[in-house]
Amino acid sequence: MKILFKNIRLLNPEQNLDKIANLLIIDGIISKISETDIQVDNETEVVNAENLIASPGLFDMHVHFREPGYEYKETIESGCKSAANGGFTGVVVMPNTNPTIDKPEVVEYIKQKAKDNLVELLQAAAITQNREGKQLSPMYELADHGVVYFTDDGTSVTDSNVMRRAFEYASAKDFMLAQHAEDHKLTENFSANESELTGKLGLKGYPNVAEEIIVARDIMLAEFLGNRRYHVSHISTRGAVRIVRAAKARGTRVTCEVTPHHFSLPDDLVASYNSDLKMNPPLRTNDDIDAMIDALKDGTIDCIATDHAPHSLHEKNVEFEKAPCGIVGLETSLAVSLTYLYHQNHLTLNQIIEKMAINPRKLLRIEVPSISEGNSANLTIFNPNEEWSVNKEKLMTKSKNTPYNKYQLKGKPYFTINNNKIHKCVL
Amino acid sequence: MLSKPYLLSSDDLTKEDIYKVFEKASFFQENYAPGVKFNDLKGVTVCLAFFENSTRTKLSFELAAKRLSADSFSFQSSSSSLSKGESLIDTLRTIEAMGVQIYVVRHNCSGSPNFLQQNTDGIVINAGDGKHEHPTQALLDSYTLYKKFGKLEGLKVAIVGDILHSRVARSNVNVLNTLGVEVAVCSPGTLVPRHIDNWKVKMIPNVDDAVEWSDAVMVLRLQRERMESGLLPTMREFSNYYGINKTHFEKKPDLVLLHPGPVNYGIELDYDVSNYPNVLIETQVTHGVFTRMALLSLLGSRFSK
Repeated sequence: MKILFKNIRLLNPEQNLDKIANLLIIDGIISKISETDIQVDNETEVVNAENLIASPGLFDMHVHFREPGYEYKETIESGCKSAANGGFTGVVVMPNTNPTIDKPEVVEYIKQKAKDNLVELLQAAAITQNREGKQLSPMYELADHGVVYFTDDGTSVTDSNVMRRAFEYASAKDFMLAQHAEDHKLTENFSANESELTGKLGLKGYPNVAEEIIVARDIMLAEFLGNRRYHVSHISTRGAVRIVRAAKARGTRVTCEVTPHHFSLPDDLVASYNSDLKMNPPLRTNDDIDAMIDALKDGTIDCIATDHAPHSLHEKNVEFEKAPCGIVGLETSLAVSLTYLYHQNHLTLNQIIEKMAINPRKLLRIEVPSISEGNSANLTIFNPNEEWSVNKEKLMTKSKNTPYNKYQLKGKPYFTINNNKIHKCVL
Repeated sequence: MLSKPYLLSSDDLTKEDIYKVFEKASFFQENYAPGVKFNDLKGVTVCLAFFENSTRTKLSFELAAKRLSADSFSFQSSSSSLSKGESLIDTLRTIEAMGVQIYVVRHNCSGSPNFLQQNTDGIVINAGDGKHEHPTQALLDSYTLYKKFGKLEGLKVAIVGDILHSRVARSNVNVLNTLGVEVAVCSPGTLVPRHIDNWKVKMIPNVDDAVEWSDAVMVLRLQRERMESGLLPTMREFSNYYGINKTHFEKKPDLVLLHPGPVNYGIELDYDVSNYPNVLIETQVTHGVFTRMALLSLLGSRFSK
């Protein structure tokens, strides 16, 4: 691989880097960065990159690749392709596979499947065995096999005493526990946000407080047990953000992520009963969206994560109440973030890169790729201004359950580079 | 013709639409006699797709279609391949392949008629979907009030009982509001939607006050499951505090009462009052056939001749 990007804008807030230069990559290594012309041989691909930006490779700390167990929805191979096509060089897969990621054998199986990939695939393991909320998983062993954090994602650890034990057990190694915050008793049989609209649509609602009660409880436990590391997955309500903001102000080690759909799509879209708008947590109100954006701006929300959740067409193309929760997101995440946050003047490009590439790695104590000569190239190259229309048939994920089909978005990934591999994005 | 080519929810009906239905229903009511057939739907095939059990709505639509000379057939999910695991969309495609133009759909999932309409070129009529809507019930109820009172603007109607789970209530609130009727609801706290304040209805906590305020009450059926699922402490308390009984009629003899049926006598309504002249439950059933004839005729006209 030899590729030269001419006049590309290099952007990495972590290095205080923002300049236009020529960038030469040879065999996966950043061979030269120069503001003057670089002479290359005729085997080198030359890209005129006046409109493009190179940033550290994007990282999504919350995706479902469904393997092992649900390979008809997504596989590690198709999931990684989808990630690369969306500009991501790193992902963390969730443990709600079958079998669950709760023992080293499963971790090793997934590692084997994911090796030699452009995308660095890391794993989150379950807090409790089989995600049943009862017996703790062997966290020390799992971490030694490379697990980067723990979560029962898909369900909450509802038993307060189990959550307490999990914090205590994790404290010996200072592991991060993440929570899918949902009081399941309050959300039984839900299909959408509890709002004026779901009252009218005759759908069982998912009230905001079901999320907020668990977030508040967990923060109280984390503080009570000596300021433990705690992360709220896919935060979605104004109240939950308020609780996290107050906790951060007290100096607790709480962090959180938001999905692109929770800052771009309001719950009134559900009036169409389109099951590609059904997910958990559900789409919230415009007021909640405003709160997500404010929290992204003031740093209450640390990062953007997709909760990429593929489901096949035959599962989704049914009565709304019977459809499973979840949407795919990897290939629209950057564009949706640029469209709804950067182009609406809520966040700068540097802030977008922080939320999508830098902060998630820092939370997980992973090295942030630096754009420097001699380093291996771990980069996302994108055009922040190109307008395009989403066509779900072009997505590389195995499932096509996106709510953004036919949406006009502004900003598009072009190249994803990592592990001496380059992917040209097709969208 | 109506403003929308289908009827999925009461939002599809404008005031003009509703009065067109009333006018046509009156015509059928005046001109129907045993043995008389109208040709409005001649050559049109109507499928009554009932994915949830129903007696009166299904019979009512069936008779309406037959009196309009439609070819109609019906199935209930228990007797169809849905019980064998066939998906709703496959069932629709199978029926569609047989050449059907109008689907009358009842389903226990809210929004199913919308889902079906998005996947067919035919016409879908919602005959009750989950806890969402039952727009033809609202049409026949408001037609009944129209026939009884002659004028609907300014009329006061109280809906009493389980609002939260009632598709009849949702459709009626909307249709009555469209027609300029003042609507109130009267219900225990666990059986009202949390955002009822935005429904353009008055809340009357006490059933005696609701009766006193209103020209007509609509009493809803209370499902026994509501108690089992912990929403109500006891049936006795519900019927003491929200049931309609003889004393209400003694205080207000001209009170008009509607109920979508079937009635749980002794719970939401006393059996003693069932044969009072202003208790219009049977009239509603009769009117149901004529309003459904009117609706089928108005929506189906694009297929006939």
